Amino acid sequence: MPLHLYLIRRILLMIPLVFGISLMAFIVANTVPADPTAANLGERAAADPEIVAAFQRKWGLDQPIHIQYLTYLKNLLHGDLGTSIRSHRPITEELARYLPATVELATAGILVSLVAGVIFGVISAVWRNRPIDFVVRILSLIGVSAPVFWLALIGQLVLYRNLGLVPGPGRLDIVLTAPPTVTGLYVIDSILAGQWHILGSALAHLILPALVLGAFSMGLIARITRSSMLEVLSLDYITTARSKGLREHLVIIRHALRNALMPVVTVIGLAYGNLLSGAVLTETIFAWGGIGLYAYNAARTLDFPAIMGVSMLIAIVFITINLIVDMLYCWLDPRIRVD
Amino acid sequence: MRRTAIVLLAIVLGLVFAGSVIAQEEKVLIVGLSEDYHSLDPSRAYEPGGSLIHHSVYQTLVTFPPDSVSEILPGLAESWEISGDGLVYTFALREEAAFSTGDPLTAEDVVFSFDRMKNLKDNPAFLADTIKSVEATGDLTVVMTLKQPDPSILAKLVFDAFSILNASEVRAHGGTAAEDAAETDTAEGWLMDNSAGTGPYTVESYEPTVRTVLVRNPNYWGATPYFDRIIIRNLPESATQKLALEAGDLHIAMDVTPDQVSSLKANPGIEVFSTQSDTLIFLLCNKDPETGGPVTNPLVQLAIRYAIDYEGFRFLSGEGANTPAAMVPLGFAGVLESSEGLSRDLDRARGLLAGAGYPDGFKVDLRYPDFNYIGTSFGVVAQKVQADLAEVGITVKLVPEEFQTSLAAYRAGEQGFSLWLWNPDYYDTLDYVEFLPEGVVGNRANWTDENADQEILDLRDAVKIETDPEKRNKLFREIQIYEQHHGPFVPLFQPGVHFAYSANLKGFYYNGQWRVDLTQLSF
Repeated sequence: MPLHLYLIRRILLMIPLVFGISLMAFIVANTVPADPTAANLGERAAADPEIVAAFQRKWGLDQPIHIQYLTYLKNLLHGDLGTSIRSHRPITEELARYLPATVELATAGILVSLVAGVIFGVISAVWRNRPIDFVVRILSLIGVSAPVFWLALIGQLVLYRNLGLVPGPGRLDIVLTAPPTVTGLYVIDSILAGQWHILGSALAHLILPALVLGAFSMGLIARITRSSMLEVLSLDYITTARSKGLREHLVIIRHALRNALMPVVTVIGLAYGNLLSGAVLTETIFAWGGIGLYAYNAARTLDFPAIMGVSMLIAIVFITINLIVDMLYCWLDPRIRVD
Repeated sequence: MRRTAIVLLAIVLGLVFAGSVIAQEEKVLIVGLSEDYHSLDPSRAYEPGGSLIHHSVYQTLVTFPPDSVSEILPGLAESWEISGDGLVYTFALREEAAFSTGDPLTAEDVVFSFDRMKNLKDNPAFLADTIKSVEATGDLTVVMTLKQPDPSILAKLVFDAFSILNASEVRAHGGTAAEDAAETDTAEGWLMDNSAGTGPYTVESYEPTVRTVLVRNPNYWGATPYFDRIIIRNLPESATQKLALEAGDLHIAMDVTPDQVSSLKANPGIEVFSTQSDTLIFLLCNKDPETGGPVTNPLVQLAIRYAIDYEGFRFLSGEGANTPAAMVPLGFAGVLESSEGLSRDLDRARGLLAGAGYPDGFKVDLRYPDFNYIGTSFGVVAQKVQADLAEVGITVKLVPEEFQTSLAAYRAGEQGFSLWLWNPDYYDTLDYVEFLPEGVVGNRANWTDENADQEILDLRDAVKIETDPEKRNKLFREIQIYEQHHGPFVPLFQPGVHFAYSANLKGFYYNGQWRVDLTQLSF
């Protein structure tokens, strides 16, 4: 099957998947034994039957559950994710406001983990069982096992407060104003606006959260690169390459690494999705106004439309990343056929 | 290739430094806060964090002194008269007061603001329940008529929800004070990024979950405040607030936890302010036998009050914490002093249990929301309750619940024995009649007019309409003494509340209503 037909089929398959996810998210959100009315109304307002009734009417909570879901689907088909109970603003507007911050952080995190992870993995495989290998393996073990909030707090304490090497929490220095919104990514928007000091501040603020957020994937990628490299390095074609007198670094980078990267691509795809959805703790500690902080606030106040919106968004991101990863396979390894 | 990489690296590093050393000419105050508000429309105000902003931007007819809530002072009204029957309040507005647009304040603005707040039917609307009508009888005269005497009405008027907004400006942006305002008012969106008040600052921008920026109101009718700009930034983690304060990136940390106090105090560049909060942490024993079981028995309730180690709870809660004597927190008018509270008396508690038919104690579930509030872990408090009651033979099983789940059950009156907190809705002792029969919290314990003593019903009904301060205080004292010996509640403690700020900051005062008046601060 030609690639473009395959792509269209995959995209069409996303539609039932998205509906399935919306149904599951709706059921889960509604089986929580708590009442959004109690969560969103103050002590006194919740004690006033008139205000409670008006609240339930306004948010459709007085309707039977299946009617609520059908209404949600109908609005979804019109591209309307509803209005946040908490802030009274449209969910699509809010997601558009918060998603770029998380994308920026997750992209920085994945870049850090990819570069560091692959380099560590290669070093570790090439100098197998030498002291440098052990150092790298311990580092990746810490990356995989250290809780992210611990890394974040220790990182802030040492690098920010004690050494002053990185700036404090947030996406920009507090006195700076965000660049005019084009993409919502401060790094790109500041370049587009030619505001170089904002770009500097945005990059500096990315360093620590990206390191912390990327630590887990870095450890994972280093370990997978190492084992995959070790496997490839023992194959015949590597011996052939060496025997025809190719320089060792070319053997490793040109011949071994490309083939060793296949499993890494899968991990990166999954890790990127995880970074997007798993940024809740990092975003809370670094006061990063992204989708993680938004999801946390939505869950805390049982803001159903917002919870649904975040679930749908993350689901779509995951599905899309999976698709991209599958496409990458074909590009990296021509032996893989899309049928 | 290598050269390009080095050049690129140099550029990036250069930008990083350029970003961090931007010269700062204007005077900026930076406050770190765990953002709890999601609207800047003062007529919908309910969260304590929002008060920091509303109090800088809007003003009310009457106000409190900077450091207490014990006295009502003139605000936008320079004087007022109360009719003999306590039903009609006539306010004379300040002639010099003006909005940030330069428009003078008029009685119409007051009528609009009060009516809009009431008709929006949002969280604070109940504060206007006793108000029958508000009318402008002159350009600067407002007459407010009550349905029944309400001795707490002036204290309620200090709350942000009674802020006076510029009626014409709010109307121009979709605002309405009509009876159907709950459905038809659309000004909230505009009030997120703008403001329409008479206060020293105006809202410049609000980025939810990131920061709120206030800028000096050029048309302010009073004394010019010190700071040109105030930035309130959302730092949800108190650990992050502490680090940012220590690093000099923050001037005030609003959410300091008790365990951070000693290390902050050791820092010479930082001042710490600690006091008791107005939060009352208490136990509820349901009066309905089906729900409450043994704790329904009045003798058992009294036994629990004698079995609690109050001093231990105060110690557990840390610096600033205090012990109320009954169901009114220290700091309110007419409150019993801490020293007038019950002391632990285990023999007496055991005797009461035997008298109630439980000489060997009993087993009971203690339900509580499993969360932290201003540094108080409900799990730890519940364990202390368990340990205290074990000494008189009551075996407590701890039942932690997810907060919203527990809240729903508590509000529905379905919890037999539970651990909760109450924050004041407004700064008048009358707010605590909610702990009496058919009050908001009384209902949650199923304490009704039918199952209550006539004595407490009479006291409750009398204090609700008594306007003479001395007689009120006497009634409040009688109610609290009653609560010590009867009723379904056990007061545990008021946790401490802590703020840390740069030592060179002047004018820091705490007040329960708005906590810190940012407009009075300077270097």
